[in-house]
Parts: sequence; structure tokens; C-alpha cells
Amino acid sequence: MSEPPIFTEELLDRCISCGFCLSACPTYALTGEEVSSPRGRINLMRALEEGRLPADDPTLAEESSFCLGCRACEPVCPAGVQYGPLLEEWRARQWPPRTRPLRLRGLLWATNRRWRVRALGLPRRHARRRRGPGPWLMLGCFERALFPAVSRLAARLVPGARVVARQGCCGALHAHNGELARGHELARELGEALPGVILTTSGGCAAHLAAVLGRDRVRELSEWLVESGAAASSGGARPDGAAASTGAAASTGAAASTGETGARPSETGARPSETWPRPSETWPRPSETRPRVGLQDSCHLRNANGVWREPRELIGRVAEYVELPSASRCCGAAGTYALLRPRDSRVILDAKLDEIAAAEVDYVVAVNPGCLRQLRQGLRRRGSATRAIHLAELLATLGD
Amino acid sequence: MRAGGLSRAASSLSGAAAGRSYDRARGDGIGPPPPDRRAPVTTQRPAGLAGAGLAGELAEIVGGDHVRTDAGALETFARDATPLHRATPDAICFPGETREVAAVIELAAERGIPVVPRGSGTNLCAATVPHRGGIVLSLTRMNRLLELDAANMVAVCQPGVITARLGEAAAERGLLYPPDPGSRATSTIAGNVATCAGGLRGLKYGVTRDYVLGCEVVIGTGETLRCGGKLVKDVAGLDLTRLLCGSEGTLGVITELTVRLVPAAAANATGVAYFSDLADAGRAVSQILAAGVLPVTLEFLDHTCLETVEEFAGIGLRTDAGALLIFGQDGAAEAIAGDMSAMAEACAQNNGFGVEIADSDADAQELLEARRAVLPSLSRRAPLTILEDASVPRARLAEMVQRIDAIAAEHDLLIGTFGHAGDGNLHPTCVVDPAQDGVLQRVEQAFAQIFAAALELGGTISGEHGIGLAKRDHLRSQLGDAHMRLLTRLKAAFDPADILNPGKLAS
Repeated sequence: MSEPPIFTEELLDRCISCGFCLSACPTYALTGEEVSSPRGRINLMRALEEGRLPADDPTLAEESSFCLGCRACEPVCPAGVQYGPLLEEWRARQWPPRTRPLRLRGLLWATNRRWRVRALGLPRRHARRRRGPGPWLMLGCFERALFPAVSRLAARLVPGARVVARQGCCGALHAHNGELARGHELARELGEALPGVILTTSGGCAAHLAAVLGRDRVRELSEWLVESGAAASSGGARPDGAAASTGAAASTGAAASTGETGARPSETGARPSETWPRPSETWPRPSETRPRVGLQDSCHLRNANGVWREPRELIGRVAEYVELPSASRCCGAAGTYALLRPRDSRVILDAKLDEIAAAEVDYVVAVNPGCLRQLRQGLRRRGSATRAIHLAELLATLGD
Repeated sequence: MRAGGLSRAASSLSGAAAGRSYDRARGDGIGPPPPDRRAPVTTQRPAGLAGAGLAGELAEIVGGDHVRTDAGALETFARDATPLHRATPDAICFPGETREVAAVIELAAERGIPVVPRGSGTNLCAATVPHRGGIVLSLTRMNRLLELDAANMVAVCQPGVITARLGEAAAERGLLYPPDPGSRATSTIAGNVATCAGGLRGLKYGVTRDYVLGCEVVIGTGETLRCGGKLVKDVAGLDLTRLLCGSEGTLGVITELTVRLVPAAAANATGVAYFSDLADAGRAVSQILAAGVLPVTLEFLDHTCLETVEEFAGIGLRTDAGALLIFGQDGAAEAIAGDMSAMAEACAQNNGFGVEIADSDADAQELLEARRAVLPSLSRRAPLTILEDASVPRARLAEMVQRIDAIAAEHDLLIGTFGHAGDGNLHPTCVVDPAQDGVLQRVEQAFAQIFAAALELGGTISGEHGIGLAKRDHLRSQLGDAHMRLLTRLKAAFDPADILNPGKLAS
């Protein structure tokens, strides 16, 4: 073969075509057509690699874009196929810059330089600069602009966390949208700006950083809290949890307002949470006063980094945890998917919203800004009483 | 299931009139695809068989949204779960009801176009590879569970119902659908029937054919008929239902099924034992059955599998052992306890060691992990995994594994064998790098010898995977000329135009 390969050969060879992924794939569930299943897409990749389909084949273009990239196919794969990296390589070939829609170009441009990402955070205040012995808090790119409270609350939940303003985008956005090399470069730049363990409130970023910098360099918030909590309780150095007596009803009200307004902790009257982790004997609270809370997993956090028990455990400490039937399945946000394919995204979201309504939960917790935005918009559109909030918001308000 | 509101708009990324345009005819120039290093095309087929008008005619029957002829879609329907077999169809259509299936078959019969029915495409014998082109008839849209009749302990369902979903629905009513092929989370129920799928519970509960009571089927003339029903006893006419089990889509397209359910067991238990020699494990199995215990699970791993699983999964298996036996029972709690200790005892008496019975469900899952990890672990050793399923009478299992080991050594191949010790169903699994010179010929020779050995020991070339394209050339050696001729005449009676999955099985 004269041309350089598009795909890493051993990644593509790993698939044994058994089809076990079909039942896990949200797009296959929509169409029932092999071509929109992970196995079908891998066969498309093989056809592209081996020249059986031309690069401009319309089905290749369509399926590389129809795929959510949620990686739900990976945990069920008996052969250990790493679909995520394959999809990134596919899009790197399939989506040359000139064919990208303007919206996507805008996003990639805005996050491509550190100063632009910093500028995104200027209008609203994210976590303030702080020194500490703990992990380096990642402020995110769009999270700075859309949900600046999340990093402020995360900094409260992890008092030792270090915060610096000089940091850019992790590059997940680029890697998932056809700029694989730049995506890796940005992750490495961020790894230099935050030279220790990187603490992130975004599941998608956690997975991308883990893939580039190594799993041990990255901790998602829930993972960090559970790990450090476990260490504290086994070491016997548990801080006193006196603040736990705050009325649950008041907390609920506070959380509801923060969920709506983007959480201003100073207004909720909550004290800085120096008491994390709480002694387990003060939990759980009596269930009749606890809000019912569901979770939307972050696909990449769950499927690539294997983090899913942790957010459930943390929610269970402060509220009545309700497992939504499809908590582990994509909500349709899928990074830029909701922007690029809004109609498909909404079909996927609608089923989820029906489920949330049936479960009668007070809150749905997200652990990724994209999911948070998607759920908030969907719930608002339906006029639902359920609020979508970030895990940091739930813990900071109900935990104090 | 196709969601009504799903956008069928062209890809916003490419900007081209691409994507979900289902009625784009593929036109002329259909020929054999170029050679492919991973998956050589097995059979040539006449070019341009279907013609450009086919898509339009199919669209008239099933609707434009449910026909695909774009090269990309054809590419993905060119394969199933079988390695080394690939051939593109001319069109794929997705009927939504029996009437549409019948109309498609009538059209195909008139024109002599091959029709290959397909569920989830998880079969391992290339039964759904359209090697003569034509129409792939995908039944995934017909996926409704029509009735769960607890009083008669039967379920009535459309062909595309996922096996695991049927199992869940039955479990909700305290019932069990026993066949549990490895692919049950993905496979369709009609696909299970068409291949007569087996699974881990074969010894105690039997296989798919033991649970099919009736079906609706469209035969090759386009006629729709019903055979069997909800009745346990029914001798009116020949048992066509049973004939359709394992017919691999060569006799008819199943459009509805009635399956038998049984009461779900109250509890289950799992244990393991190691043996230095597989023959000892075989003797332990004989002793277990002689003692009057009919276990639900009796699985074994040979030494190669043990070593490979430990290398890749690192779950603490003893690699100094020659074999691992996993045994399990279901039923009433007290009865299980007795059976489990009898089985543990039988293992110990036959030089078993490291005998362990799980205390909890979680522990049981851990013990079963070894079995689940075999195929993934083996497949990581090389790019190509060939999973076979020659079977022998239970008592000759150890002898068969010895033969397989000798054949593997002779051809310098890595073949791990695992499978169902209770019913003699073996899975010799060969992993190779197809880029190596001449390796595929060696694999072919080795498996020909393995099939011959199985027949010599009174076994079969396929216990549960089927014949399809993959083992077509070996079938005659098992069945003989007269048997093959009868099968051919049977096929002609169901499908006079020879359009239903032609060239497979005995046709």
C-alpha cells in the first residue's frame, strides 16, 4: 500500500466481528441497520483503509458523523476493541477542515489557543487562583463560559486543590472532530500547565487526558472525592462533620435555586467545605427528607475511564439515589453532536426525558458540561420540575 | 426499531447529498469486490444479477426508507461474525410485516434473485453472507414480543426479537427461556431458530429446537404457512417446525415464532475444580452423571486456554493445571446444595484439586469469569480468530482434545479448546496472523483433520454453530450421498426457484 495507513493496524485488527456491540449502540437502536452499528462502522473503516470504498463515499461521511462517539460499545466488546481511538482516526481522515460546518470551525478556533480559552472565562468568574498541596483543578474551556460555578464549587469540595488561570483546552474537542494531532498537542500543553494530577469536572476531558497523558495523571471530581474519602476513613484522620445538621429541606431549596441560576455559593450561605469527606456514620439522612436524585453518566468517563460507581456513591451520601434505566446510555449531547446533528440528538434525548419524567426525580446530576447543557435545555423545553445540575453543585449545596 | 422522528437529512458535515438516502440505486457495474487481505471472497457470483430497477421495486413493497443499495451499506452487510467470508449483496431490505416478506420473496422467485434472511448477523458459519449477491432480508424491524402467555407457558414473538429481551420478559413472569447462546444479548430469536443455537445449558435444558412449538413461515414460493402452535402435543402433519430449526434460511423465512417457557429455578450455584489432566475431568463428569446429578453447567477449559486467560486477564487461575472444570446447578436451594457437594466430591475423587464452590452470586460471577475470558484472551494473541465447534459423544471428549492438540502441533498452530463438557460440544479455537505465508492453508488442513477426527469418534462437524458456507464442503462426509440427495429434494420442495439462501447447507 503506497499511502500511509489511516488507522492503527492493531486497533482495526482487534475486531472479531462478533456483533456483541450491536445491542449497546444507541444509533443501532434507532435504525436497526448494521451500517449504523459499531461493527458496521468498523467494516466501513476497513473498506476505507483497503480502498474498497472511496474517501468521498457518502455513507462513510454520514456514518462517521451519525455515530455519537459515546463508546458504549467498548465495555461490552469481548475482544477489547478501542472504538474511541478508531473513530478519532476515522474523523481525522473523513472531516478535512474545508468541509467542516462554520459552527464547528468557530468552536475549534476559540479553544485552539490558551488566551482565547482564558478570554472565554472573563465574563463570569470561575474558581479563583489558589495554591495548595492537592491536585491541579482544570477549569475547562466551555465550562468557564457556561458553568463557571462548577469550578468554584469543585474548589470548595477539594480544599487542597491548586487553581491557575493560565490553562487552555484539553483538546478533546479537536480529537473528536477531525483534528486528532492538535487534540493530542493541546492535551500535552495542558499537562505542562498543570504538571501534577489533573482534577476535572468534565468526564469527556478526563477520558481524553487519560488517553494522552496516562490514566494516573487524571482524576474526575467524583473519583477524587471517593478515593480521598476512602483514604481518610481508613487512615482514621476523619475531619468532624458538624455541618451535617443543616436542614435538608433548606438545602433542597438552596439547591433548586442554584440549579436554576448557576449556583452562587456565597448566596446559599454554605460554608467552605473543609469537612470533606464526611464521616460515614452521619449518612444516610432519613429518606423522607432527602431529594430524589438521578444520574446521567458521562459516556467517556464510564466507558473509557471506568468511573461510574463513584458519582452514585456520592449522590447516595446526600440524597436518595434513583438509578435511571438508561443512566449509562448517551443523552445525545455527545460533545459537538447536539450542535452538528440537532435532530438526531433530540431523538436520543427525548427518550431520556420521558424516563426522567417517569422516575419523578427532583434532580438529574451530570458529570460533564455537555450533558448538563443538553439535559437543562431538554428539561426546560418540556417545562419539567426536575432540575439538571452538576455533581459539584449537588454536593456543595446538599453536603453542607 | 426506527424512530419516526429520526433525521434523515443529509450529513451536515459533508454537505453532500449523502447519508440516509435509502433509495439511491446502485446502478450497474456490480462486480466481485477487490481482493481483501483479511477476508477473501469465497465464491464468485454473476455480476449485475439484480439490475438497477431492483431498489425501486423493493421500495414499492417495503417503502423507500427501508431499502438500501448504497455501497457503504452493502459493504457492512457483506459479513457476519464469521472470519474469512465476505460478499456484498445487491440490496438490503427491511420488511415490517409478513405480507412484505412474502411480496419480496415472490418478486425474487419470479426473477431468480437470491434472498438471504438475516437477524443480527452473529452466526459463526457464514450462513448470512450473501455469496451469490441478491437481497439481504433484514428482519430487525419485526421485533415485537406479541404475547407472553403465562397460563400456557409460551411466548409468541416476531422474528427480530432479541433473545435476551425474550429472556427478561419471561423472567418478569417467573419463567425461563432456557437456550442461552453466547450472543443472546444481540442475537435474534429467529436467528437462533434458523441456526438451532445451543449454549451453556444444553445438557440439562436442551437447545433451541427443544423450545420451538410453532411458527409462521414464508416459503420460497411466497406462500405463507403456519406450523405447530401453542400445543405441547400436536401430530397433525409432519413436524415442519422442527425441520425449520437449523435450516439456516434455506427452506423459508420465519416471520413469527411460538416458544415454550419453563418455570424459572429458585436458585443457582457454581463451583470449579482443576485437574492435571483433561481425562481426569472427563472421568469426574461421568461420575457426576452416574450419580444421578444433571447439572445445568459443566464447562471446561484446556491448558492452552488457562494459560492464555491468565496471561491476559490475570484473574489468578492455576496455570500448572491441565484443565479447569466449571460446574453449576439450578433448582430448589436444598436440592442444589446436595448436588453441588456431590459434584465437588466426584471431582476430588478423580484427582481434582483446588475445588471451590461459590458462596455468593458475586463469587459465582468471579468463577465464571474464566470461561467468559477465554475467547477475548485467545483473540488477543493474533489478528485472526477462528472459532469452531466440532462435537463428540461426551465420553470421548478428553480423547478428542488430545487429537486436537496433536493436530495443532503437527501444523504448528495455536489452538485452545474449551467448551461444554456436559454435552461433548467442543470449541477448538485457532488464532493466527493471516499475514503469515501459507498459514490459512495450514488452518484449513488442521480443521479438516479435526472434523474427520470428530466423525471418527462418532461426533459431528458442528454442534451449534451451523454449516452455512464455512463448513459446506465437509457436510457430505458426515451425512453421505443418499442423505444429501434427500436434503436437496427437500430444499426443492420448499423453494423450487432455489432463491432462499442458495448454495448453503445442502442446496
